[in-house]
Amino acid sequence: MSLVMSSANAVMAGSYDYGEVAGSILIAVAASYAALDLAGRVTAASGRARLVWLSGGATAMGIGIWAMHFKGMLAFRLPVSVEYHWPTVLLSLVVAILASAFALYVVSRQKLDPVKALTGSVIMGSGIVGMHYIGMTAMRLPAITRYSPLLVTFSILLAILFSLIALLLAFDLREETKWTVPRRIGSATVMGVAVCAMHYTGMAAASFIPSSPANLSHAVRISDVGNNAIAIVTLIVLIAALVTSSVDRRASAEVGEQLRQAQEDLARVTRVVAMGELAAAIAHEVNQPLTAIVTNGNFCLRRLGGATSSPDELRAAITEIVGDGTRASAVISRIRGLLAKGVPKRTELDVNQFIQDVTILLRNEFTRKRVSLRTELACDLPSVTGDSVQLQQVLINLIMNAIEATCTSTNGRREILIRSAKNPDGVLVQVQDSGPGVEPSLANRIFEPFFTTKAEGIGMGLSISHSIIESHGGRIGIVPSSTGALFEFTLPADDASVS
Amino acid sequence: MSEPQSIVFVVDDDASVRRAIQRLIESVGLHVESFGSAKEFLQANRSDVPSCLVLDIRLPGKSGLELQRELAEANIRIPIIFITSHGDVAMTVRAMKAGAVEFLTKPFRDQDLLDAVQVALERDRARRQQSAEIATLRERLELLTPRERQVLPLVISGLLNKQIAAEIGATEATVKVHRSQLLRKMGARSLPDLVRMAQRLGIPHKAA
Repeated sequence: MSLVMSSANAVMAGSYDYGEVAGSILIAVAASYAALDLAGRVTAASGRARLVWLSGGATAMGIGIWAMHFKGMLAFRLPVSVEYHWPTVLLSLVVAILASAFALYVVSRQKLDPVKALTGSVIMGSGIVGMHYIGMTAMRLPAITRYSPLLVTFSILLAILFSLIALLLAFDLREETKWTVPRRIGSATVMGVAVCAMHYTGMAAASFIPSSPANLSHAVRISDVGNNAIAIVTLIVLIAALVTSSVDRRASAEVGEQLRQAQEDLARVTRVVAMGELAAAIAHEVNQPLTAIVTNGNFCLRRLGGATSSPDELRAAITEIVGDGTRASAVISRIRGLLAKGVPKRTELDVNQFIQDVTILLRNEFTRKRVSLRTELACDLPSVTGDSVQLQQVLINLIMNAIEATCTSTNGRREILIRSAKNPDGVLVQVQDSGPGVEPSLANRIFEPFFTTKAEGIGMGLSISHSIIESHGGRIGIVPSSTGALFEFTLPADDASVS
Repeated sequence: MSEPQSIVFVVDDDASVRRAIQRLIESVGLHVESFGSAKEFLQANRSDVPSCLVLDIRLPGKSGLELQRELAEANIRIPIIFITSHGDVAMTVRAMKAGAVEFLTKPFRDQDLLDAVQVALERDRARRQQSAEIATLRERLELLTPRERQVLPLVISGLLNKQIAAEIGATEATVKVHRSQLLRKMGARSLPDLVRMAQRLGIPHKAA
């Protein structure tokens, strides 16, 4: 009896089908990669889309983890026929999906502090362990399953450790950058191997002792076809999730690009409209007194030409001419005053920093027009005081002009050089382009209002720049140069920083 | 104070422009009345003499183009010379299509404005004369008897007395009397003269 008992208690010898094991590892790596990728999408989405990504992602990822696990069980071959109680199998799948949903939720949060990471990994690890052992109880075979407490504990610790690694990696890799894909593949491999390690430890924790035939109600045999089908369907689900994620990513990147373009266009249009309105207002305000002056002047000439001129009426007309001349100049100084209104916002500026800020602002413009930018910034510059918005307007204006000039150039080189230097007046900033340059005969006129050489220009840019620099106590001008046009302006140094 | 022979109205919101234009136009001996807005112009008592309007496009309240349309709707057919600081092509076309005499951009040459004023006054004078003539003809038409009024379209259609007699059921001699009365009462020197008058009055020919 005891012999029989002992022979009955003998552990069934099981063996692994290494092909199946390899398959399970592949699925584990694929599921991990999908998890990392989907975490990025869940993070990027908001509102309803976020919920859809979260539930869709959790389903794909849960199916992946579950399939790996199930495949790992099928890889274990016992000398007896094994069937599976399918409601329990289904339950294990649900647990896998819930654990995945929880994991995706945790990593898509804004912050992941150590406490959250630890609690998260305990919950996620328990989910995976739960799924694993629920899956094991689904086995129906003529044997009793015994678990080694040590190995079970070890598998639980492995599951929690794996979850912690997974959460940290996923959180770290959710932002999409250039190196994301290779890094994700590496991390996915680590995670996949970790999942398998946990699983096979769990498997090793169980030993099967032959006994009476199992209760086979609701149990199914998994044929080889079914086994392969699980693997294929799982891979399809994971690939579908990855493709959807990639399409979505590209679409949202495109929308972002379009949005950026639209904002840029709007800014430009607003600027042009504002300039146009300003120009029309100036035109009208100045033109009225000019009309009166011209008309009164003509009247005087007529009277002086004829025989019948009385000094009184001439005096009246000339008095009006003087009055209207004064009025016109008052309009001009009012516009100057308008431009100078920003003055109270003067702050101390680091010119080099300021140049870098502007070039960053215009980076897209350089890329789009395929113009390369070179900067030569002196490091011993004194600080200056100015209205950064107005000065930005000046520098943007000079750079935009330079970009346009390089684009009209017929020789292939499109380059802009921005230089900063210390000079006796304070700080010197130069913008030089590789364009055709400015004709010397026009050099004196380009700072006049409404003077333009561009088809759509209104000729206010340089004129306004001139007013701005002047109101800062500096000078702006064009300097003769061997290549292209070279514009420069100076800003006086702060008294404190002049040594 | 005796009524001036003609008046130039000036509407511009800028007082010094207004004064300068007034001074210039008055220097060639014309009478000028100036206003600061379309409303002031419409409310003023305007003498019924040949006149024209020098009108700024940009005005507070009603614009110059709106005033032009309103005057046309009220059948006030005063010739208009537009002056503007920033006239675009579309605006010019619109103003000229609506019958403006001239479209000048400020500041304009003095001679251009004075020439335009002369053309406009001349045009108004001619129009007034024409409508005065038509009024006279209308009065004369009123003097005709019903029978004569019936004969008039037939006569100007070139029908012979015999044909007219058959048409209206009278003797040839009676028609002859009607015809001479028509010429006398309308003040026409000849049949072609009468035909022209009928044309101006819009009386249609009547073919037999």
